[in-house]
Amino acid sequence: MRKLLTIAALSASVIAYGAAANADDTVRFWYHFDNADNPMSDLIAKFEEQNPGITIEAENVPWNSYYDNLYTSIIAGNAPDAAMVKLYAQPRLVEMGALVPIDDYISSWDGKADLQDDLLDLTKGPDGNQYYLPIQYVVLYLYYRADMLAELGMEVPKTCEEFREAAKALTQDTNGDGNPDIYGFGFRGAKGGQEHWGSLVLSRDGVSLDQPGGLTNPTAIEGTQWVVDLFQKDHVFPPSAPNDGFKEVTGALKAGKTAMTIHHIGSANDMVAALGDKISATTVPECGGGHWTTFGDESTAIFSSAENKDAAWKWISFLSTTGNNKEFNEATGQLPVTKSDSANWTLHPKRFVDATVASLPFAVTLPNTPETSDFVNTVWPVNMQRALTGEITAEKMNQNIEELFNP
Amino acid sequence: MTMTAPDMPAGRVALAKRVLPYALLSPAVLVTLAIVFFPMIQAAWMSLHDYVLWKPNAITFVGLKNFVAAFQDEVFWISLKHTVIWIGITIPAQMLLGLATAMLLNQEFSWRPLARALIIIPWALPSVVIGLMWVWIYDSNYGVLNDFLLRADIIKQSIPWLADPDTALYAIILTLTWQGFPFFAVMILAGLQSIPKSYYEAASIDGASKFRQFWHITLPGISGVLVTAVLLRTIWVANSIDVIYVMTGGGPGYSTYTLPLYAFIKARTNLDFGYGSALAVLFTIMLLGLVIVYLRKVGGDNK
Repeated sequence: MRKLLTIAALSASVIAYGAAANADDTVRFWYHFDNADNPMSDLIAKFEEQNPGITIEAENVPWNSYYDNLYTSIIAGNAPDAAMVKLYAQPRLVEMGALVPIDDYISSWDGKADLQDDLLDLTKGPDGNQYYLPIQYVVLYLYYRADMLAELGMEVPKTCEEFREAAKALTQDTNGDGNPDIYGFGFRGAKGGQEHWGSLVLSRDGVSLDQPGGLTNPTAIEGTQWVVDLFQKDHVFPPSAPNDGFKEVTGALKAGKTAMTIHHIGSANDMVAALGDKISATTVPECGGGHWTTFGDESTAIFSSAENKDAAWKWISFLSTTGNNKEFNEATGQLPVTKSDSANWTLHPKRFVDATVASLPFAVTLPNTPETSDFVNTVWPVNMQRALTGEITAEKMNQNIEELFNP
Repeated sequence: MTMTAPDMPAGRVALAKRVLPYALLSPAVLVTLAIVFFPMIQAAWMSLHDYVLWKPNAITFVGLKNFVAAFQDEVFWISLKHTVIWIGITIPAQMLLGLATAMLLNQEFSWRPLARALIIIPWALPSVVIGLMWVWIYDSNYGVLNDFLLRADIIKQSIPWLADPDTALYAIILTLTWQGFPFFAVMILAGLQSIPKSYYEAASIDGASKFRQFWHITLPGISGVLVTAVLLRTIWVANSIDVIYVMTGGGPGYSTYTLPLYAFIKARTNLDFGYGSALAVLFTIMLLGLVIVYLRKVGGDNK
């Protein structure tokens, strides 16, 4: 009998210990930060002090395998309780049943009124539910070398025609060896470059990614051909453009090898460190009757496998609350989602914040469908590279993309 | 109470002796089954299904549909062609370079130990480091290769080696040749040192030229090593995707796609595990066929 009691007591203590150390009030959170200046431990300490009983286990997952790891962890039944997520992944995560709707949490949340206007609409799920809580954002704009344009006596390009003229004039052979040393525009032909192509093509009247015929109409084909001609005929992109990614386009601009490119405020401080006042920014050019630029997002979401969804909500809403959101964005170099933090924002030089704000009215997101991930990861880069190198025509490129969205 | 062997009946002793090897081997067999055969069977099973990771509720058995689709897929044929070029150039190039290096390192010279250590460096470096290093070498703006060729007046204008579909695959082949030739050099050097010097002395006395000595003594002496090295490198090079992935990611377009890379991109990036597995299974069968033919043709002669 005594032996039985001992076993029972031992079991009870193990269960009690397990419950206290493990369980429901631990939030496993995944995020991705490239910079060494990681504020997460400070934010966690602050949160845990304000919310005794909740433990945050935050894991910085490398960006290049972030979504591969996230999808496989969901399938393996080992998903985090909450994580940083991008809009283009939302349709697939919803399709997998991996996310929890957070409409009720948001409607009863004090911080809702302080969120920037329209951010919740932009991040709405494909079924109309809200799964994402915005945490940072950027809008893509045109970087240009103000000093070089001034030297040439040229205005900052506002339209596609002016952009092309500027790019041609800025492409220069400075050492007289017969080859350009500076190219007018650093085009991103590798993954992520759909933002460059989109600004120069999707802005045109009647052109769209997901409407039937939206890419196979003459205007759309002419737009893609125009981009291809900039490379093949005008030679205003560096020869490496088909393979160039983020590092190459921003690196070439900083090194003075290119005079313009398209990116966002996340790279502004690096640009200023390299080029000082010589670098400035404006909205992407108006092409074919309209403007088109990308709203670059990052949100947080709660996963359906989370044991304590209330604790997960407390943590993600904490990150999107004034003060905490500022601290978070000071590290990522992007923009806060709260109005109060934005009002006193001094992290970036004003001209880049102005270019971002001026771009907001026409900033869009990619189609809210599961196909968008394939468009971003493989279909766009492969077809753009083939078109740039002359393996396929501009028409064929547009057809291939249209087939993805409208099979 | 336990029985010692002498106490046990003869039948049980015999049984214990028969069972013991299996009992001792079973952990290794179980581990092999779990980490080699189970994933292989799982890949074969997935290749017969519509298995898209983000559609967990729509996994259906489709029989050989993925295999039929592969044969009708333009990218499959492009990747297969590149795989053949990739193996067909890299292995002979690595072997010839390795053979020449091994012959040189087999000569007597004062700093031979240092030279032997240095030659290993490309083989010892991680593939990612090699990929990144050669991306810089090939860079059209800053790359040392273009700079050298321009200064030597061989080219008039920088060539974007990795961004031009006509040169990208061959540029990566050169990188992999550089990375892999030390393996051949070391293997062949070991083979060379096992050939008795007296053979050469005898041949020399008989008036055999250097070339005839090489043809009749050196080559037969290292043929066993060569067969093994070629076989191993063929399998490694055929499956190698890390250098391509780092240098071009398969681009521009499909110009550096090989079959294993295509299978990887389909499964890992597009999350289409069914089709990706079918590509991997097809490639495994092809490689197996190649290895069998090679061993029968070349390996048989060395028995």
